[in-house]
Amino acid sequence: MIHFHVVNHCLSVGGIDVLGVSSASMLQVGDNDYVALYSMFDTPPESVIIGPLAPLPEPERAELSAGEPGSGRKEKQ
Amino acid sequence: MNGEIRTAVIGFVYVVSAASASAVQFGDRGETAGRLRALAVQRAEDHLTAGSVYFESYDLFSRPYPVLSDEAFDSGNAVTVRRDNPCQRISVGCIRVIAASSASSIQAGNNMRLLGDSRIKHIRQYPKKAAFHALGSVSQQLDPP
Repeated sequence: MIHFHVVNHCLSVGGIDVLGVSSASMLQVGDNDYVALYSMFDTPPESVIIGPLAPLPEPERAELSAGEPGSGRKEKQ
Repeated sequence: MNGEIRTAVIGFVYVVSAASASAVQFGDRGETAGRLRALAVQRAEDHLTAGSVYFESYDLFSRPYPVLSDEAFDSGNAVTVRRDNPCQRISVGCIRVIAASSASSIQAGNNMRLLGDSRIKHIRQYPKKAAFHALGSVSQQLDPP
């Protein structure tokens, strides 16, 4: 059993200058118990397709899927 | 936890942008769950003729989280945390942020549980250009004046 004893004395921050906080990131001044940050960014080389413009694949039961509205998606009957 | 809950005192904040599914907060928060799904499609084709794009077509958006195995926690040897706050004030003078991207959090204060999830699939698709130029046009360009 591990006992972790924290004594929070004065927490005073003068100034913070940040250019960017990226996806699934955090900037915090204070306490936190549990942090889980996940970021998945998929741009593999094969994602660049140079050739005839084939349509992007449709999933099974595409009429029930969440597509982009107003972009040619078949509306549910 | 001994002592009072800490309070945050902010002097000056300057935020230019906080994008979608992000949070800027001063004070306490119990639980944060920022989540972003994005399909970034670049195609040399009109929206009306290109058809729709579906999240369900790509495994990235349904992939489970990686499992964190903590043998000590699983066997019941959890870490017990005790906090004492003799000084209850969190004092921040100045925060300047240019941009906070998706599913991110900016906070001065206490939080108990933070879960941020960002999943972006990037697709680029371009039409193929002609492989060779006409011989006459190339030779004309190469000829000295």
